[in-house]
Amino acid sequence: MKDLQRLRTSLKEEVELALNAQVKMEAEASSKYLAMASWCEVNGYLYSAKYFFKQAEEEREHMLKIFHYLADQGVMAYAPEVGPVPHDYPSFRSIFEAALQSEINVTHSINRLVTLCRRVEDYATENFLQWFVKEQVEEEINARRALELFDVIGEEGTGRFQIDRHVYKITQLDVE
Amino acid sequence: MKDSFTLHELYRTAKGFTQQCDLTNRIILNFGEQVIAFRYLDFVSFRRKVDRVNLHDMIFNLDDAYDFEVIEAPKSNQQLVLTLCDLVQLRDLLSGTQFALDLNSMLHEALYTYAY
Ligand SMILES: [Fe+2]
Ligand SMILES: [Fe+2]
Repeated sequence: MKDLQRLRTSLKEEVELALNAQVKMEAEASSKYLAMASWCEVNGYLYSAKYFFKQAEEEREHMLKIFHYLADQGVMAYAPEVGPVPHDYPSFRSIFEAALQSEINVTHSINRLVTLCRRVEDYATENFLQWFVKEQVEEEINARRALELFDVIGEEGTGRFQIDRHVYKITQLDVE
Repeated sequence: MKDSFTLHELYRTAKGFTQQCDLTNRIILNFGEQVIAFRYLDFVSFRRKVDRVNLHDMIFNLDDAYDFEVIEAPKSNQQLVLTLCDLVQLRDLLSGTQFALDLNSMLHEALYTYAY
C-alpha cells in the first residue's frame, strides 16, 4: 500500500498549519506597519513614514517566502485574512514601542515554530526557518534603535523633527 | 470490498467507507449514495471544510437554510447535501480515514524505508 501522504508532501499537518499561521502573522505585521506609516505621514513625520512603508513591504516579502515554501512542499498556502489594525496612536514615540512589541511577538512565534520542527523531526523546515531567526535579530535591533533615538536625541524643542530624520537612516548601513 | 491489489480499505463506519487506490493515487469516499475520488491534497481540504461547518448554528438556528449544509467536493463537480446527522457521521469517517493515512505513513517511515 502506497504512502499517499508522503508522496504528496514532506510536511506534517501540524507544521503546515503552523506555517500558514505564520503567513497570517506576517501579513498582519505588514498591515500594522502600513497603518503606522499612515499615521506618521499624516502627522508630518515623513521619514518615519518611509521607514514604516519599507517595513510593511518587508513583512509582505516574509509572508511570500513562507507562502512559496508551502507550495514547494506540495501543500496549500492560504491567502490570509487580516482584520482591522490599530490606527490611533497616542504619540510619535508610542508607535515605535508598538513596533518593537510586534517584532518581539514575531520572534516568539518563529521560535515556537523551530521548536515544533525539532519535535517532529522536520529538519528541512527548521533549516528554512533559520533565515527568519536571523532576520528577527535584525528586526529587533532596528526597532530598539528607533526607540533609543528618543532617549539620545530627546523630544524637546526640535527633537522629534531630528528623531524623524534619523529613523529612516536606521536601515541604511551608513549610520552617521 | 473485494480483494484487490490496488484497492485498500482505509476506514469504515455504519454510513460509509473509504478506500485508497494505488493505481490512481486516489482516496475514494463512499458515503450514502455517493462515491467521490480525491487526490490527497483535495481530501485534506475537503476534510477541513467538513470540520469547519458550525454544527452549533445548525442546531440552534431555526431558519430553513440551516437544516442542510451544501459542501462542494474539490475538482469533482460533485456536491454533498448534508444534514446535521450526516455531517457528524461524515466527520467521523473522514477523521478515521485521516488516521489510517497517518498510520500508514508512520509505518512506511518505520518499517519500509529500506524495502525499496
Ligand atoms: Fe517578518
Ligand atoms: Fe519584522
